[in-house]
Amino acid sequence: MGGPDRDTGLRTIALALVLIGILLFSGCSDRVSQTIPLKVIAAGSLLAPFAEAEKEFEAVHPGVDVQIEGHGSIQVIRQVTDLHRAADVIAVADESLVPDLMYRPMEDLGKNYTDWYLPFASNEMVIAYTNKSRYHDEINQENWYQVIARPGVRLGFSNPMLDAAGYRALMVMQLAEKEYSDPTLFEQVIADHFPSTINVSTNGTTTTIALPEIIRPSDDKVVIRDGSIYLLSLLAAGGIDYAVEYKSVADGMNLSYVTLPASINLGSADYAGQYRDVTVVLGFPRFSTIGQQRSGRPIVYAMTIPANAPNPGLGREFIDYIASESAKGRPGWPAPLAEGAAA
Amino acid sequence: MRQTFLPGEAVFLVAAVLFFAVISGCSTTAPDPMVENWQLSVNGTTEKVLTMNDLKALPAVNGHGYCVSTTGARFGPYTCNGVDLRNIAALVGGVGSGQQVWVSAPDGYLWVFDLDQLNGEGFVTFNENLTEIPSPPLHIILMYEQDGKPLSYDDGGPARIAIVSEQPGVITEGSAWVKWVDRIEIRD
Repeated sequence: MGGPDRDTGLRTIALALVLIGILLFSGCSDRVSQTIPLKVIAAGSLLAPFAEAEKEFEAVHPGVDVQIEGHGSIQVIRQVTDLHRAADVIAVADESLVPDLMYRPMEDLGKNYTDWYLPFASNEMVIAYTNKSRYHDEINQENWYQVIARPGVRLGFSNPMLDAAGYRALMVMQLAEKEYSDPTLFEQVIADHFPSTINVSTNGTTTTIALPEIIRPSDDKVVIRDGSIYLLSLLAAGGIDYAVEYKSVADGMNLSYVTLPASINLGSADYAGQYRDVTVVLGFPRFSTIGQQRSGRPIVYAMTIPANAPNPGLGREFIDYIASESAKGRPGWPAPLAEGAAA
Repeated sequence: MRQTFLPGEAVFLVAAVLFFAVISGCSTTAPDPMVENWQLSVNGTTEKVLTMNDLKALPAVNGHGYCVSTTGARFGPYTCNGVDLRNIAALVGGVGSGQQVWVSAPDGYLWVFDLDQLNGEGFVTFNENLTEIPSPPLHIILMYEQDGKPLSYDDGGPARIAIVSEQPGVITEGSAWVKWVDRIEIRD
């Protein structure tokens, strides 16, 4: 074989080795994606509407892969602030959490995690039930608090330590005492069914509910689960009769529900002063970055973009899309925000 | 006739060798400083600081672990290896009636267990379909190995809480599975 042929052969072998090396090396690192990921971390009660939005957004943004991850609202923010994960959009079920937890400097960038948020929807608490629920054919807006207090009726709500819907359920029950002038309602329905003391104290117009560290009911009257999806499963199976839920979640699951007066449902800015009269103190500081105290306030959802978001422009487009769709009042979505409802 | 490489060919060959050298660097494993530097503070009637070697010297518990988030995301199933929380508490005086065990991590997360839970009671358990099932015997362990390997940082390593059973496929609520545990306190 002549010199030029051999030269060509060696060159080919060398090139092949380099190419194999490149291919193998690429296997050591993340695969190059053909799509742009848009990381959205959202509160659990937003997952169903955001799943709809994901499909719609991707349909008009070819090459974008919307990746939605759900947590409780505080955990949503902690993914960015405490666990230092990258996210393009943060969406929570309590607008106050954004300034409380994100208006502080990032360790590396020297600027705040964010300095703004967009309030975009509201919600209200309802009493959800099915046709398996005891007294389902009797319950209505006038007698709901009496029905759930009846012996044998089981009430579910999510863990106040983990889920805003959980401490909001306690607030609703306390507000209902005043609304219906029934000073024993909270005891009958909730406090009497825990082995550890739930301390309820009143100072002026403010009532404080102090929870124990362990929230485990002593009987079947009250059922507590980590998240609302587990309550909904129990409700469907007849394991509980009623659940304190967000209206949008009940709508999304096609559940029957009793709506509550605006003065107690945490859904109206007009009653913000009244809601503030109830405070829940959690049994222990689950997160060191936020205190144990949760005060009653109108439910307002909010979105923001962390300062270190990989795709802030795309994030903004997604936020604008959610806001515009939310304003339409879509079924199963949190309600459009009333004028002036945000803090 | 003796053949000689052209300079360009030599560059190609050197580049190829360098690539393979880099590739080999992708697969080597070095001692993990995260594990070597990890310490666990245990406070009760006395105080102790445990290293990973100290932890591994305690009686190991093996079991199946599987957890679910508040929004229904499942993590697992895993085979878990670690130390029963009661055995760690016993190093500082144990847990008495009415006392609690506070387990925390440097990321600011805290969870509290009572004596019933330390004894495997009072947990909600689910099957694969997230339907509630009667709870089999459970153990709370401080896990340091998952699926036969040291627990990775992303999975909460060097040590995290796991709730395990002898029976596979039992899912527990994930809120108690504290990641990156570095402190255990026994409190009244």
